[in-house]
Amino acid sequence: MLIKLTGGTVYDPASGIDGQQQDIYIQDGRIVNKPVEDIQVDREYDLKGKTVMAGAIDMHTHIGGGKVNIARTLMPEGHRADPVARTHSTRSGCGHATPSTFVTGYRYAEMGYTTGFEPAVLPTNARQAHMEMADIPILDKGGYIMLGSDDYLLRMMAAKKDQKAINDYVAWTIHAAKGIGVKVVNAGGISAFKFNQRRLDLDEQNSHYGVTPRAILKTLATAVKELGIAHPLHVHGCNLGVPGNMNTTLDTIQGIGGLPLHLTHIQFHSYGTEGDFKFSSGAAQIAETINKNKNITVDVGQIMFGQTVTASGDSMIQFINHKHASPNKWVTMDIECDAGCGIVPFKYKDQNFVNALQWAIGLETFLLVDDPWRISLTTDHPNGAPFTSYPHLIRLLMDRSFRNEVLSTIHPEAQKMTTLASINREYSLQEIAIMTRAGAARLIGLKDRGGLGSGNWGDVTVYTDNADRQLMFEKPAYVFKDGELVVKDGKIVHTKWGTTHVVKPDFDVSVEKDLRKYFDRFLTMKLDNFKISDDEITEDGRGSLTVHPTKGEAV
Amino acid sequence: MSGLTFTLKYRPDQRVDMSPLVYQKLAKLEPAEIASLTLQNGKRKSRVDELFGISGSDATNMVIKNSFGKLDFIGRELEGGSIKIEGDAGAYLGLGMKSGAIKVSGNADIFAGCEMKNGCLEIAGDAGDFLGAALPGNKMGMKGGTILVKGNAGERAGDHMRRGNILIEGNAGDYCGSRMTAGTIAVMGQTGQYLGFAMRRGTLLLWNPPALSASFNDCGAHTLSFLPILFASFKKLNSRFAAASAAFNRVQRYAGDMSEMGRGEVLVKITHPGF
Repeated sequence: MLIKLTGGTVYDPASGIDGQQQDIYIQDGRIVNKPVEDIQVDREYDLKGKTVMAGAIDMHTHIGGGKVNIARTLMPEGHRADPVARTHSTRSGCGHATPSTFVTGYRYAEMGYTTGFEPAVLPTNARQAHMEMADIPILDKGGYIMLGSDDYLLRMMAAKKDQKAINDYVAWTIHAAKGIGVKVVNAGGISAFKFNQRRLDLDEQNSHYGVTPRAILKTLATAVKELGIAHPLHVHGCNLGVPGNMNTTLDTIQGIGGLPLHLTHIQFHSYGTEGDFKFSSGAAQIAETINKNKNITVDVGQIMFGQTVTASGDSMIQFINHKHASPNKWVTMDIECDAGCGIVPFKYKDQNFVNALQWAIGLETFLLVDDPWRISLTTDHPNGAPFTSYPHLIRLLMDRSFRNEVLSTIHPEAQKMTTLASINREYSLQEIAIMTRAGAARLIGLKDRGGLGSGNWGDVTVYTDNADRQLMFEKPAYVFKDGELVVKDGKIVHTKWGTTHVVKPDFDVSVEKDLRKYFDRFLTMKLDNFKISDDEITEDGRGSLTVHPTKGEAV
Repeated sequence: MSGLTFTLKYRPDQRVDMSPLVYQKLAKLEPAEIASLTLQNGKRKSRVDELFGISGSDATNMVIKNSFGKLDFIGRELEGGSIKIEGDAGAYLGLGMKSGAIKVSGNADIFAGCEMKNGCLEIAGDAGDFLGAALPGNKMGMKGGTILVKGNAGERAGDHMRRGNILIEGNAGDYCGSRMTAGTIAVMGQTGQYLGFAMRRGTLLLWNPPALSASFNDCGAHTLSFLPILFASFKKLNSRFAAASAAFNRVQRYAGDMSEMGRGEVLVKITHPGF
């Protein structure tokens, strides 16, 4: 099967193509060079005047795992208000902040997204997370394995085990839980919460293990680097949402000693304490520091006004936040002594000073970080807003007058506290393509996604150019997944199943000796049941695994 | 002008969502327009005139004849007018109704008067579980108005109730008044286990001694002057609650649920004041 996409204007930062008219050929799922003349084109799409990009990648979106299901259970009103009927090609479901798995896949694809990564796969719950993501159609998926508050690691660190032993444990866990990266959430803080610590600063010791968040970050960032995992340690920092936390964030960046680090939902970690309300924007300083430190990458975690539900592993912070729950109901829980979970519904309001300033801080961050290759477009779905708000967010970034128009409607004190109005930058289509495609793929280490060069998989999104970028990005003309047309005019026409992206770094198998004893003594399942086999992902006939190389391996 | 009457032609196998047939949606429609409205019937959609014979035109006095227990969402968010149901009603009868009156000659299924805001709901037969309750996951049940049940009520009557009156002439099932925030539930018959489970405030008025949990404290016998006023407000009802002989003012008072806020009360009629 040979498909020809004719005459579109191509934005493919991965191969340095910025708005050139070009034909793209897809053969049997993969993008190929122009074939020799005599091969017959089976299907041709005339894309003259249309904008062509690779399928978009959401590198941080909570779409699977226990917390998403708890959020669904906690917020049935969102589902009742947004029922989705079945069609001849799609199944029924329900939507809004935590849509059903099927609707998650459909709505992402209908916006031109073809890949999403679940950022908090708790190893103990990884099986459930993968099974749930296996029910998300069309999208490719993957997960970052959550470590840093797990008893085993903290015991190892307390016992001063060497880095090699920790590397083996990390690599073993990535294998067992089928991850593509490592995430740390409020390093050690989730554990400290259970020993009655309600805050844990970067250099404060966990009262039980005597380990500090800084030491955990350094140890895990080193492990990730030494194991050759492409995606840097994915860090949800200390003190999320706390006024003045920008200093913690700056300290985290300075103190990591040049190790690669990805700071996620940075917006929630960029707060100062100035002004009458003792809450101010630290975006300028944070952005400046990011610009200077090339080892740092970030995603924003933009908030949008409206009802959503926050779902986080950070039970320490979510416990503090429960006072703001709207509607007033919330869950904070321990999970198998290895992590935590907090679900708090939120209604971000533009007439609330703090919410309005959070909105502005996120946008300041987008606009003040110079290098789009090192910043990803996220709302930390569903924590800042549901992913369906991305087209609106893209318009805010690309259209200065629209941005200022919205800015003029938010809480007046917040308007005074932000420099947003004075920032002239408007994102170009190429920069959007970097943030949502090529940059995200490079950041995660996806070898054949996020680009349109020959050899890439045929994940292609075609937009109809429109000065209103929200309308443009809301409703792509065509979306191809692995070379199959799945969306036409913003509606699903065909569904298929994506793959699961993983890495498999090397480790010393003797690591299981101690782990087996530990599992037998302390945990609720046996070590052999803990490990997810490849078959579990693939045996239903629709899932598949794509293993990406670690650095040092031949590609 | 005679009342707008829907006569069910046959009993469909699947449940029917009756929510389009309310006063505020029908008041300005011609009979032909009403006939061509569609109702969700299981996974199909059926025209109104496919399921019902239609006569009369006065939407303020609606009648549903031959009704049975698979007609759900009757009187959903009703605003004005009255609905008389001859037969049984399905689930979610009067869901979120804002004003007006609904009368059922038979039984009502689960979630009758769920999240009702105001108005009057009268059930001549029995009511199912979650009478006047909140939808699953929601924090506020009935917020106002009156529900009168002449038969028995199921479990969880008044779950998460916020305001208004639920009057039950027969028995109430387990967890009556569970998680109540406020409001009044009166039960003439027997009550089940876990009465007032996790109630915060509100009043449970009982004719018969309940099986109370340990988290309710006995506050002794009281003569409460508000009770005659409360009973006087029932006078206009077509109910045993309206009878002068039903009224009393001497009660044993229990406070609870002490595992919650503990400002709720269970008032039990003292039958032999001298005892």
